[in-house]
Amino acid sequence: MAEAIQKKLQSELEKYQQMQKDVSKSMSARQKLEAQVTENNIVKEELDLLDTQNTVYKLIGPVLVKQDLEEAKATVAKRLEYINGEIQRYETLLKDMEKKSDQHREVLSSLQQEYQRAQGLAVGKV
Amino acid sequence: MAERNKRNIEVLQGVDRLRVGHKKVVKGCEVQIQHWEKVKGDYEALEDQLKTLPDEVSYDIMVPFGPLAFMPGKLVHTNEITVLLGDNWFAKCSAKQAQKLLEHRKKHVRSALDDLHKTKKNFEARVGFTEDLEKLSGAKGDYVDIREEVESIEEFVRKGKQRVALKPHTKPKMEAVVKMEEEEGGGEGDGGSRRGVLSEEELWARLDELEAKEKLEEEHDRHFGSVDTNGNDDTTSSSEEEKEGDGGGHHRVNGHDERSEGKMTVPHNSGQVNGTTREEEEEDKGEEEEGNGLPTIYFSHTVEPKKVRINTGKNTMLKFSELKEQKQQAKRKKKIGTSNGHSHHGLHNITTPTDIYRLFVDVKNGEPIPRKSILKSRSRENSGCSDTSESSAADFEERRTFGRTLSHDENTCSDTSDGITEEDSPTGNPLHPTRRFEAFSCTVVEKEPIPLSIPHLTIVPPALPTIPERKLEEVAPDAPREAPKRVSKFKAARLQQK
Repeated sequence: MAEAIQKKLQSELEKYQQMQKDVSKSMSARQKLEAQVTENNIVKEELDLLDTQNTVYKLIGPVLVKQDLEEAKATVAKRLEYINGEIQRYETLLKDMEKKSDQHREVLSSLQQEYQRAQGLAVGKV
Repeated sequence: MAERNKRNIEVLQGVDRLRVGHKKVVKGCEVQIQHWEKVKGDYEALEDQLKTLPDEVSYDIMVPFGPLAFMPGKLVHTNEITVLLGDNWFAKCSAKQAQKLLEHRKKHVRSALDDLHKTKKNFEARVGFTEDLEKLSGAKGDYVDIREEVESIEEFVRKGKQRVALKPHTKPKMEAVVKMEEEEGGGEGDGGSRRGVLSEEELWARLDELEAKEKLEEEHDRHFGSVDTNGNDDTTSSSEEEKEGDGGGHHRVNGHDERSEGKMTVPHNSGQVNGTTREEEEEDKGEEEEGNGLPTIYFSHTVEPKKVRINTGKNTMLKFSELKEQKQQAKRKKKIGTSNGHSHHGLHNITTPTDIYRLFVDVKNGEPIPRKSILKSRSRENSGCSDTSESSAADFEERRTFGRTLSHDENTCSDTSDGITEEDSPTGNPLHPTRRFEAFSCTVVEKEPIPLSIPHLTIVPPALPTIPERKLEEVAPDAPREAPKRVSKFKAARLQQK
């Protein structure tokens, strides 16, 4: 009886740990996105400071490709939107994962209690 | 004690951890700040460079050639600067435009730095607080814990009435509510009426609750008495209402007093404390060093009784707080002071006017002779009825203490032929000339033995404030006359006229 509980406990524990890893991964991804958002914001602002006289280049691989200022602005704006959307997605994902991990935690704790009780019984018996 | 120590240790550990955490954050902030400062420095150098670069058309420089070599070369197009805007975007601009971009970036850096500084300060403050907390719990330093123990709910019930919902109004209101509900919804008529019924039931339940509470209150009042910080009282709670209509012997009252003394709990009234309980209180107050690890001062509120000032005429003010209870207390005190037990004690519980008449009987020359109505008392000023003059010394003392403690009563009219309060008050006056015009003093007055000749005091319910005043006026001229020749006032007047 105690062993069965122990096994259950182990499996639950593993699941919980997996969940935690996922949560942390999403968290780091989200942080990266945040950094990109900031950067793109700066780029957007600086592009606004320039005028059409200046040529804008985009680095694609080893090549600097000439770009139109307006195009560049549009591209940057689109990128910003995309990144924001990604962030939202990751937010919801994170919330779900949090909830799931909480549930797992509860299950884990209840199992632990059972296990201890069983242990206690076993000790008592012995 | 062991538990407390354990808890203390845990708390200390927790606080320690908190402090460590805070310090970590502060350090992190510092690192970041350093980083940003470096960036800022770089940008400033770049700015300088940009400013000077366009000065010349070309520069002779040593060009880095791979990681280890340099080559002499020329720097041309000094005004054309390719700026990395971020995210793999580049822009070719003049030096001036580059400067503009630079300014913009520097702004950004500055804001980041400010934020970091703020957080750092924040956390430094927190660190300070946790250190203080550590000191507190570690009982180092000059920190003293001040605690006030909250008594059980009983204590809160003692004094006065709690604020009870206005019972008389609840029902009619509720009815109105029910009606409205019924009116509101035909469809939900049933629900409404049901709700109305429920609320009615609730109200009845509430009424019952409140009744029970009031009963409890009364009981508590009985046991713990009223608060009187006149300080007169070292005796305990008065048990005034307790023995309603009970003309029982003093021994009963005494017994009750003893009981109530025992029950008297300390922290509420420092003014009304028994000897024993006072000791407890003093033990509780003052510093405790044990177990807490921290010097503790136990603090307790003293509840002030409601004091109402009544202007009873020219320049007289009375503190009209719970006069009945004060009377009772006066009686108690007198009882304790005199160490004479008499049957008068049993009559101390005044709840109705009849009690007063019962109480203020003339000294028995055999039997207690009830006094006449107080309305006739004025005529009895200085009346020389011999009965009263022969009352026992104890009785006199009794009356005198009545007079002493109840200043407003001091000179109230006697209510019978025997009552000569004025006679007494003159004796009282020289001793306490100001008391007549004062409210109850807070001092316990030990009365000297009074000559038998002095007629005893009669006390009239305080509800007639004007009478004392008048009495005062009348007494004053009579003050010098100590020897009681009991003549009725009218007779005296007639004599005078003659």
